[in-house]
Amino acid sequence: MKRESFTPIQAQQVAAAFSKHQVDYMFIGKSGAILLGYPGTTQDVDVFPRKDIENGRRIVSALAELGFEIDSTLGAEIVRGKDFVQIKNGPFDIDLVFAPDGIENYDDAKARVDMSSGFPVANIRDIIESKRAAKRPRDAIELPLLRAFQRMYEEKNP
Amino acid sequence: MKQDLLADFKDQCRRGLQRSVTDRMRYGFNYVYKPVLDDAEWRSFNSTAEYRQWCRDNLPEYLGYGELSDLQRQVLDEA
Repeated sequence: MKRESFTPIQAQQVAAAFSKHQVDYMFIGKSGAILLGYPGTTQDVDVFPRKDIENGRRIVSALAELGFEIDSTLGAEIVRGKDFVQIKNGPFDIDLVFAPDGIENYDDAKARVDMSSGFPVANIRDIIESKRAAKRPRDAIELPLLRAFQRMYEEKNP
Repeated sequence: MKQDLLADFKDQCRRGLQRSVTDRMRYGFNYVYKPVLDDAEWRSFNSTAEYRQWCRDNLPEYLGYGELSDLQRQVLDEA
């Protein structure tokens, strides 16, 4: 399947499908920061879902509805809640990050979730901590910028 | 970060925060082919650490998933 950039319409479709199937999730990573207003670019969508079997089944249903090709093997991996599932056979690229670096547990992150964009997005501080903990060269470039954005974001959204 | 670069970036942040969420997505998501990473329908890992190791072992260094240099480690620690 030809892959294209994630579009505003697709974001609405993800939110609608995840809501319809009652998926418990939040956007995380750079894609989450962009939804909050961070002036960067990214190529895929990072989702931090609650890790449980029922939520996994709901994710499979939602992704199938969005046009992802979820065969039985991939479906089983999602339901099982493998810590990291990267899917590139749908209308856009999506990473299901069940155990992001730097975040202790889902419930704590959920308590800090940011709904200001209309989408559930991890708190900017959680996004930054997960990038710091990932320890990747690409994050060494991004992290000082995310930190500068965080200060401005929190001034605007105390 | 140099002060003029920081000032420029803060201007970008200001504009980003003023944009609608729709425009943030329109300008923020751009697909570019990434060798190896994009060459599979899907992949899964038992742990995030396992994924990071796969990235270090398999992806071209210029994609930025490799080992940290001392300077990069210092930047991450201080940010």
